[in-house]
Amino acid sequence: MASLLSSGVLLRRNPHILKLPPYLSFLCVLIGVAWLLVLPLDNYSRNTYISENALLPGQVHTYFAGSDQNVFRGYKREIDALEDKPNIEVNDKLEEILKASGLKVARQSYEYKSAGQTYTGENIYAILHAPRGDATEAIVLVAAWKNMEGKLNRSGIPLILTLARYFKRWSLWSKDIIFLVTADSTAGPQAWVDAYHDTHQSPAIDSLPLKSGALQGAIVIDYPFDHRFHSLHIAYDGINGQLPNLDLLNTVVSIASGQMGIGVSLQQMWQHSDSYQDRLQTMLRGMMNQGLGHASGPHSSFIPYHVDAITLQPFGDGWQDEMAMGRVIESTFRSLNNLLEHLHQSFFFYLLMQANRFVSIGTYLPSAMLVAVNFTIMAIFLWVKSGYPQSTNSKTPSTVEAEEKTSQLNSSQKGNAKVITAEESSAVRERELLLPLAVVAGSQFLGVLPLYIFNHTPQNMLTPVFVSFAVANNALPYILSRTLTHLFNPTTQQYQLIKSFSLLLLGLFLSSLATLNFSLAFLVGLLATPLTYIYPTSSTSALSYVLKAVLALVLSVIAPTAVLVAASWSWGLSIEKVLTQAAYGWDVWGMNTQVVVWCVWWPAWIVGGVLLFGRPREETTKLNERGQESKAVI
Amino acid sequence: MSIDRRKAALFGAAAAVRLLLFTGFPGLPDLLTARVEISTPVTSFKRLQEGLFLYNHNVSPYDGGVYHQAPLLLTLFTLLPDSATYPIFTYTLYILVDLLSAHALMKIAESGEAGSSKLFTSPRKDKKWSSFSIAAAFLFNPFTIATCIGRPTSVFTTCAILYAISKAVVGASFTSMLALSFAAYLSMYPLLLFPPLILLCYDRRPAKRTESLISFILGNAAAVGGSILSLLHMSFLITGSWEFLSSTYGVQLLLPDLTPNVGLWWYFFIEMFDSFRNFFLGVFWLHLSSYVGGLTIRLRRQPLFVLTMLLGIFAIFKPYPSISDTSLFLAMLPLYQHVFPLMRYTFVESSIVLYATLLGPAFYYLWIYAGSGNANFFYAITLVWSLGWSLLLADALFAVLRDEWEVERPEMKGKEIRQV
Repeated sequence: MASLLSSGVLLRRNPHILKLPPYLSFLCVLIGVAWLLVLPLDNYSRNTYISENALLPGQVHTYFAGSDQNVFRGYKREIDALEDKPNIEVNDKLEEILKASGLKVARQSYEYKSAGQTYTGENIYAILHAPRGDATEAIVLVAAWKNMEGKLNRSGIPLILTLARYFKRWSLWSKDIIFLVTADSTAGPQAWVDAYHDTHQSPAIDSLPLKSGALQGAIVIDYPFDHRFHSLHIAYDGINGQLPNLDLLNTVVSIASGQMGIGVSLQQMWQHSDSYQDRLQTMLRGMMNQGLGHASGPHSSFIPYHVDAITLQPFGDGWQDEMAMGRVIESTFRSLNNLLEHLHQSFFFYLLMQANRFVSIGTYLPSAMLVAVNFTIMAIFLWVKSGYPQSTNSKTPSTVEAEEKTSQLNSSQKGNAKVITAEESSAVRERELLLPLAVVAGSQFLGVLPLYIFNHTPQNMLTPVFVSFAVANNALPYILSRTLTHLFNPTTQQYQLIKSFSLLLLGLFLSSLATLNFSLAFLVGLLATPLTYIYPTSSTSALSYVLKAVLALVLSVIAPTAVLVAASWSWGLSIEKVLTQAAYGWDVWGMNTQVVVWCVWWPAWIVGGVLLFGRPREETTKLNERGQESKAVI
Repeated sequence: MSIDRRKAALFGAAAAVRLLLFTGFPGLPDLLTARVEISTPVTSFKRLQEGLFLYNHNVSPYDGGVYHQAPLLLTLFTLLPDSATYPIFTYTLYILVDLLSAHALMKIAESGEAGSSKLFTSPRKDKKWSSFSIAAAFLFNPFTIATCIGRPTSVFTTCAILYAISKAVVGASFTSMLALSFAAYLSMYPLLLFPPLILLCYDRRPAKRTESLISFILGNAAAVGGSILSLLHMSFLITGSWEFLSSTYGVQLLLPDLTPNVGLWWYFFIEMFDSFRNFFLGVFWLHLSSYVGGLTIRLRRQPLFVLTMLLGIFAIFKPYPSISDTSLFLAMLPLYQHVFPLMRYTFVESSIVLYATLLGPAFYYLWIYAGSGNANFFYAITLVWSLGWSLLLADALFAVLRDEWEVERPEMKGKEIRQV
């Protein structure tokens, strides 16, 4: 026992161990990325399955057909005539139709302001009270007048009207059904769900005059063309990367592909050959959507309220008609109608790589955690290193010496406590904490600045503001670093501590974030990885200047602003559009991706820049042996 | 004079920060009041409002089983204008209480009791923080600020405990006991601080008093008992019945309200079969109080450190802990700055605590709001939180014991040791 303990003591002083952490942290990143890449393989992902037995998907015969098709055609003609009419006029007509079906109808108008723009509209909804229910639970069927691309929901609106009329005829519903037609796909659903849960901002957003019970699920129809379709595309990402319960998705997939023979695709993978590449691409697109945390359809607004929701979008040219789509919805509603309690059995954290293949959180989380751990390892390493005496190279003990020391341990018995002491005294250097803490805390607080600026600038000013911010951002690390050197002239140890604290915080934030939004944590972690390997140097050799220039280049490439420019270029969007959308997300959806970018990633980047341009002062070796008196830290 | 100016500036800044947070972010106080990390069933400001409402309408405040706080708090808050219409008075009260606590903390720091008590003088005692830094560390601790903004009534207990200690270090045993009685009256658990506190008073008693330890203890115990009794009687006069006893102290003892908090009790008692409940209540309380005797005896020479340790232990193991208790422990800990270099795992411990601080709200969100997590998520993180503090406590204890040991065995100074 004693020898085991003493070897532990000596292990700490082993010089080889001290060289290890940078490689170890790099290894963590490598494994993290590799981990993600093997997920699509058969051995690591699983086939989806229905967890909640009450759902019984596809076990009922669907009757939506025949004469209802004539009703659908009639409604469709009415809707086509309303195409360019203003919102209120459209809703007048819809109200008339829904009332004719014998439903209670109510309307809600809303107004959002974001980036100097105003978004207004009016939602209309009808409630079908369950003949067998007590109005404590409800399911929502949503169709937005305009879909995410701004196209008229040409067949979706007639379909929801037909279904409303059709559902009303059945006596088997045990949950209320709410038919909601929103004016647009982003603000309208948000205003309605907020008001349903009484968390809306009055008076800009009206309260709902009519309500039902707790929402159990929501299905959105997005069917913006009037020809037959080939397969079904399901959008499932919620705001801030939250996902609906996997059972809801499984239900629709099993109904569509099993009962109706309609193919299902995800993440705009119009072709999916079940190959490794296609699975990986689906997964990566899913991660991108999750990481951005934006709404991918009207369903996204429901998910933060713990209402599982998905959007169904027919696509392609095939032989499935609108009645088939209607039957999918009918069957899904019959399944949801069976639910005895809220969907909770299946996964809430998953990555899908195909409509029937997924990995759950336990399998994929380690990859993001490993990336986050890389920062923590380096933080601990730098902390330890900052405590080591300056002139280590002159008296680095060899391993042979270390082995010899095992025999030099003193073991003494005193009372009940047995004490083992090593001969060599353990010297720990005084750590000067105040400046590093102030620098790291300061850069964290600085993050509030861009967050505020980009969320409160009017739309037309966004591009100029962004350009000037990006330019200033590239110069900022250099300026800050010079100021720091000029004012405080930090020592190597202080630089080490600055880096240690900054990386510790980054690792801390990212591992917490990984539990909330895995993809965002992984993406930010990956983009921040180079920050682990930036050291300040006071060397003036040509090589170090070249190295510094290369690192500065790398640093400016991985700057949040540069990444933003690259991303919007690859999506084919203008910066203004992306930033407007981000501000819209912040104001309307309560999206907080910006907080992560500006208050987690950006401060770490700034500190990285400060380190790169830092010039550590040559310090006089000041040892503070344990037990030796010395002046206070602060 | 210059010191006073510095102190005034510090207190002014602390008050300004709090006032800014109170008034600049009007949603913040209510948001923090609703956080389970800050408000527990026995300290919540929201529950106080409920009790106050009932009390003002001549209904017993304990009807309905929401209010579990001491009756005298009701009288205090009825003196203030309604906090919904004139919140500024409540804000000012809480800010003042924080400043008073800081003042008491400065008194404790200035006494130098941490470095050299009557029976023990640390060889490192010169290496300490000034009382100014200690007060600043308390006042600008994010936990303290969050507690102040969240307005739980535990701040009054904090203040009373700090006053009791600050009076004890100058030997004013009677005032100290009075403050302790207030703390015990408000929250009950501070009664467990009596043994170390009385030893501290005894060590620091004026030289002219030469009574024996036993009679000293008996005298002061009588003082504590008497003042608690009179406080209870006052409460009886206010509420008109003795039912407040079971609604306040009974709740602390028997844990009927299992609202989640950062402690370890709630989950355990949710899971437990009713037949074992009484047994485990006994075990948990026994566990909590068993530290008092052990630490008081082992660290007889440094009663102030025993108090610090106990406050840390209470912050982990008491039935309804909150970050308010943690902030009290963190207020006392910097007094022992001189032994910090002897601590071994400060970085790991602070990392664990930081991780738990961030992950706690995240997991609570996943459980309560997102619905994608469950109670185990939050409980797991409270375990980590408690683990972090336990490690820190053990490490601080190790450092102080090592400090004592080096006085006995000076030849071991600076040597690496391991306790087996």
